[in-house]
Amino acid sequence: MAYILIVDDDQDFADAAAIALSDAGHEVGIEQDPNNVVANMKDRVPDLVVLDVMFPEDPSAGFGLARAIRHDHEKLKGVPLLMLTAVNTRLPLGFSSRDIDDTWMPVSEFLEKPVDFSTLREKVESLLQKASS
Amino acid sequence: MTQVDSTPTASYQLPLPEDSPEAAPDGQPVVGAVLSLSEPMLAANATWFCRLRWLVIAIFLLYGLVGMVDQMTERLLGLHSPGAWPFIAAVVLALGNLSFRFHIKRLWKSGRANHAEVDLWGQIVLDLLVLTAVVHFIGSTQTYIAFTYLFHIALACIFFSRTKSLIVTLLAILLYGACIILEGADLLPAARVFPAAEAPMSTAPGGKMQVVNFVSAVGIWLMVWYVTSRLSMFVRRRDVELAATNRRLRAALAERSRHMLRTTHELKAPFAAIHANAQLLRDGYCGELPDKAMEILRRITARCRRLTAEIQEMLQLANLTSASQAPEWADVNVAEILYWCVGQVGGLAQSGDVSVQTDLKPAPTVGVEDHLKMLFGNLLTNAVAYSNPGGCVKLQCGLDAAGPVVTIADEGIGIAAEKLPHIFEEHYRTNEAVRHNKESSGLGLAIVRQVAEMHNIRLRVDSQVGRGTTFELHFSPRRDMAVPTKVKGE
Repeated sequence: MAYILIVDDDQDFADAAAIALSDAGHEVGIEQDPNNVVANMKDRVPDLVVLDVMFPEDPSAGFGLARAIRHDHEKLKGVPLLMLTAVNTRLPLGFSSRDIDDTWMPVSEFLEKPVDFSTLREKVESLLQKASS
Repeated sequence: MTQVDSTPTASYQLPLPEDSPEAAPDGQPVVGAVLSLSEPMLAANATWFCRLRWLVIAIFLLYGLVGMVDQMTERLLGLHSPGAWPFIAAVVLALGNLSFRFHIKRLWKSGRANHAEVDLWGQIVLDLLVLTAVVHFIGSTQTYIAFTYLFHIALACIFFSRTKSLIVTLLAILLYGACIILEGADLLPAARVFPAAEAPMSTAPGGKMQVVNFVSAVGIWLMVWYVTSRLSMFVRRRDVELAATNRRLRAALAERSRHMLRTTHELKAPFAAIHANAQLLRDGYCGELPDKAMEILRRITARCRRLTAEIQEMLQLANLTSASQAPEWADVNVAEILYWCVGQVGGLAQSGDVSVQTDLKPAPTVGVEDHLKMLFGNLLTNAVAYSNPGGCVKLQCGLDAAGPVVTIADEGIGIAAEKLPHIFEEHYRTNEAVRHNKESSGLGLAIVRQVAEMHNIRLRVDSQVGRGTTFELHFSPRRDMAVPTKVKGE
């Protein structure tokens, strides 16, 4: 069993994803405010973070958060990050897992909403397995 | 007292557009920029001015060296030997040049380009002093040398505001006048390169003609200053207006992109939430449901997926058809883009039991990578989606004399001849296509048409009902031809 943190301002989606991941045997936490994420993660380091990109106050908060986790906090830099967002658009056209890089999009994997929960669960398991090995 | 009462009141007044004067990126008001060139431009001009001066120094040195050879200037040019003054002028200018260049480099390094105007003033004043000496030695009123002051007057009009360029003009007049007065009072040693009788404007020092020459030269300078400074102001004002328009355009484009991003998110996110919750019910996370309810849930999730894709395509199409679109043209390899697109349709092909055969040879061209991905992504998705199980999609890419050629052929349902001219219309779908694939929005080929027009790609479709469809794309090699054009017959 792993502890997974979902960072998403959409309560309806986050709750649904939490049910799907809990059903797979994981403990799931939800954080809707990106400003609290790093502090909460330091209190209890999750095994994986599911991260949205756009938040009400900052349309690119997800990227900023991913960079902060990867580069600014030694304790958190190894946590796998799964970016899951309704936007696959980089001003104005598509970004995808192909655009993952250490400076612009330092995440482990990328999935686009709407997502099939079977796909989400597969991706989460594979990232957790990779992290543990 | 409650906690709410103790909270300090914050207020904010929404500013009207006219409350905030338009400012340049560096925060300087645009109006101020009309008066003179921007500081970085002044610094660049100061550097250029220094480079030009080395040429003048070289001419002085050459003239001095030729003058050192016995009677060489007399035989070649009919001039007296100049003596030492060309060397002195060259040394003074060279020392000045070195110090000015050093000063400018320090300014660039320290990021304080705002002192470039001081540097330019120093250069102009030094030049005018040296030039006055040269004018005296060559012949202040006996030759046309005094017109070389015009060079600095014209440059001052370009570099500085009208007032400052007038100061440079007056300084030139003052120095030239002082030279003539001192010559007239015999306070300067006589040193002319022309023999007195052969000077172009032969006049006796202190004579009336000298006064007339001085007054006419000054009159011409002032006229040149007036015309040049006025023209320079017009050009500068137009530059500032263009720069302001460019800034507004860039801001509008950036705002448009932000808006597009937000709209995509705001439209897709609710469907993602509906889709997620419907999945919980459909996949039994909340217990067993009757078959009828399951069927309804399947429809809900399928519709959510379609609507999400449709929103994405509508936004892409709106973006492509917008006149304010400013795509990034770059060198691209069509084969690499196709390889990426094949990866994107892999899942769909697998689920539909459709194989994709590729024969991709390098095919470089100039294009907008994201747009070409949309074009080929849509064509490949269609080829796979409208194939029958067990079918094969063949993808070829190569070069002909004009540029890349791409062929996408499927063995799918095909399109009737009378329907072919309509397939690139927005939201048009054949009945056969709807029956075969309910997921499509009917916008994919409209996007294909738009991208093809932008890239000047000739697109040909051959189809046979029940046997399959082939799309053949011929690229134009020239970027300047890649301007959106209307298809013949539209």
